[in-house]
Amino acid sequence: MPVVVSTGRSGGRRPFFRRRKSCPFSGPHAPKIDYKDLRLLQRFVSERGKMVPSRITAVSTKKQRALAQAVKRARFLALLPYAVK
Amino acid sequence: MAFYETVFIARQEISAAQVDALSDQFTAVLSENGGSVKKKEYWGLKGLAFRIKKNRKGHYVLLNIDAPPAGLHEMERQMRINEDILRFLTVRVDALEEGPSAMLQSRGREDRPRRFDDRPRRYEDRGPRSDAVQTEAAVEG
Repeated sequence: MPVVVSTGRSGGRRPFFRRRKSCPFSGPHAPKIDYKDLRLLQRFVSERGKMVPSRITAVSTKKQRALAQAVKRARFLALLPYAVK
Repeated sequence: MAFYETVFIARQEISAAQVDALSDQFTAVLSENGGSVKKKEYWGLKGLAFRIKKNRKGHYVLLNIDAPPAGLHEMERQMRINEDILRFLTVRVDALEEGPSAMLQSRGREDRPRRFDDRPRRYEDRGPRSDAVQTEAAVEG
C-alpha cells in the first residue's frame, strides 16, 4: 500500500519560510505596556482602530492581555478611538 | 496607604490656570484625608479621539497619588460633581513611576521619523500578498 505523504505545500523545493518572531514585550529591553504610551499602543492598533491580532504581531498571550487592557484604558480617556469610520 | 494614578480631562473652555486650580482643589481634598500627590503632570490641551459631552478637546492632567481609599473616593466623588471634569480614570499601581510619564516623553520626539509604524499596516495589505505567493507556487508545481 503506497504511503502518501502530504506536506500541504506545493513545490517543496522552496518551502514558504517565515522566521518565527519573538514577543516584542519580552527580553531585556522590552518596553513596558502603559496606557499612557500612545506611540507604543498605536503600533498594535489597525488604521480602523481595532487591535491587531497577536498572530500578526507575535505578542505573547499574557502580554496581549495586558496590551488589550492598556488599549481599553487609552480608549476610555479618548487617547485612542473606539472605531475609525 | 495605596498608590494610584488618576488622569482627568477638563472641559476645553476653561483656561490652563483654572485647570491648575482644579488640580490644587483635588490635592487639598486628598491631603485633608491624609493623602498626598507625589507628582502632577499637565499634558496640555489635547484633541480627543471622539467627542465627549460635545467637546472636541480637553485639558489632560495626571496625578500620582499616595492616599488611603477613603480620600480617593472623596476626590472621585467631587470629580463626578464638578461639571468642568469630562472624564477621569483612576488606576491602582504597585509603585508610582519616577520622572515624566510616557506621554510627556513622546512629546519631545514627535518630529523624529517613525520607524516601527509599518508593522500594523502589514495586517491590512496581507491578503493580496499571500495570494501572490500562492499563484507563484502553483506555476512552479
